[in-house]
Amino acid sequence: MLGTGGASTDTMAHSTQAAHGHMQDHEGHVLAVEADLEYWRTKRLEPRVLQLHRRGVVTLYDLLRAAAHISAPPIAASIAEHDIEGRIRALEDRLDDYIRGIGLASIDPPEHPSVIEDTRKERGDYDDFFRIAKPHHDGTLDERIARLEHELREYQRLLQVLMHALLEKGVVTAEQIERQRAFLAGRGAWNGALIVARAWVDPAFKQALLTRGRDAVRELNIPPGRLGKLGVAENTATLHNVVVCTLCSCYPHDLLGDPPWWYRDDSFKESVVRDPRGTLAHRFDLPLPESVEVRVHDSTSDVRWMVLPRRPAGTEGWSEEELARLVTIDALVGAAEALSPASIARTER
Amino acid sequence: MTAPVATHRFQVGDRVQVKRANPAGNPRTPAYVRGKSGIVTVLHGSIDNPLDHRGIYPPLCSVLFPVRDVFGGASRDTLSVDVHEDWLAPAGA
Repeated sequence: MLGTGGASTDTMAHSTQAAHGHMQDHEGHVLAVEADLEYWRTKRLEPRVLQLHRRGVVTLYDLLRAAAHISAPPIAASIAEHDIEGRIRALEDRLDDYIRGIGLASIDPPEHPSVIEDTRKERGDYDDFFRIAKPHHDGTLDERIARLEHELREYQRLLQVLMHALLEKGVVTAEQIERQRAFLAGRGAWNGALIVARAWVDPAFKQALLTRGRDAVRELNIPPGRLGKLGVAENTATLHNVVVCTLCSCYPHDLLGDPPWWYRDDSFKESVVRDPRGTLAHRFDLPLPESVEVRVHDSTSDVRWMVLPRRPAGTEGWSEEELARLVTIDALVGAAEALSPASIARTER
Repeated sequence: MTAPVATHRFQVGDRVQVKRANPAGNPRTPAYVRGKSGIVTVLHGSIDNPLDHRGIYPPLCSVLFPVRDVFGGASRDTLSVDVHEDWLAPAGA
């Protein structure tokens, strides 16, 4: 889920993947795809469709007309049915495409502003009545993968139809879409890694980051974004911070791209506030000594938190680029420490 | 982007209690801290966040709660929850 283009991002995706090793837990990967797929459908795409319909901007009838121009997405290229790992990887790639596509469909033209709060009611954040039902993803692993392959095709088709209708009705222009595509490609977890690396080497930058948040990142040529305030929680020898948003999944998306998939998972949210230390130890294999206080930051949408992990020992004299490769997406929310120099060396051998 | 801190009713170090009932307007406070008391640790001011919601919400505080006060047990770990001031009242000592 990290690849958003650009050599730097690829480097980071590589090191993160290597740190997590070969795909061992098929069930876990499938569960992650199921959770992400349904989150983006029920929290982002369909509430937006309903909102546009209610306002008469793009009605369901417009979608029907647009659908006539869209053929069903092709079935994925030849992956043998028994190649479970190959099929899961293909699902993950297509899920990334789907999520990027929803980002493009969420363009904010001035005449039809898309304010997140407007769809919160629509998507049932406050009232179960409006909650969009999710299908049960049960059955054998094989059945679940087959169902995801089918659903992802269907969901992608709706997205394509919506994009077609948005263009047909002149709600957005092709040029706006291209600009949005470039904007989305330029952000990501690599931004977070660069911010952390600079804070490790430059005390003045760190101070500015902790006190002024977003404003500070401009000096890294990173667009600061404007989705609320950026809160930065610094880990120390006696304090370990971890970020959650129990009410929804607030995160500095506009600055750091997507959070880890489990960040939106209800079981993570429930367990991390009740038992932060146990959750880190058992779920993330990050046991912390009793001398370290674990502090959970539960965000609202107005302050979006990231964690500033501790600089690993043995990295004296490293360049910022090298240091940034130690910072994983999990470390940015406090579910992991920064990687050790030894773990990077291992993956490159 | 941030309104003057002077608009805050509370100060860092104040002991506050989260209201149980939902004040009119902003429903976004986690249920598990309702009725619980904590210490104000950060004043964020009123945050202009037009991409996320219309209008300006009341000033926002980070409030620190011991996990054991909220969920029981003996943990020394803490929960820092961002709460708008209309949800907060002064707590007894």
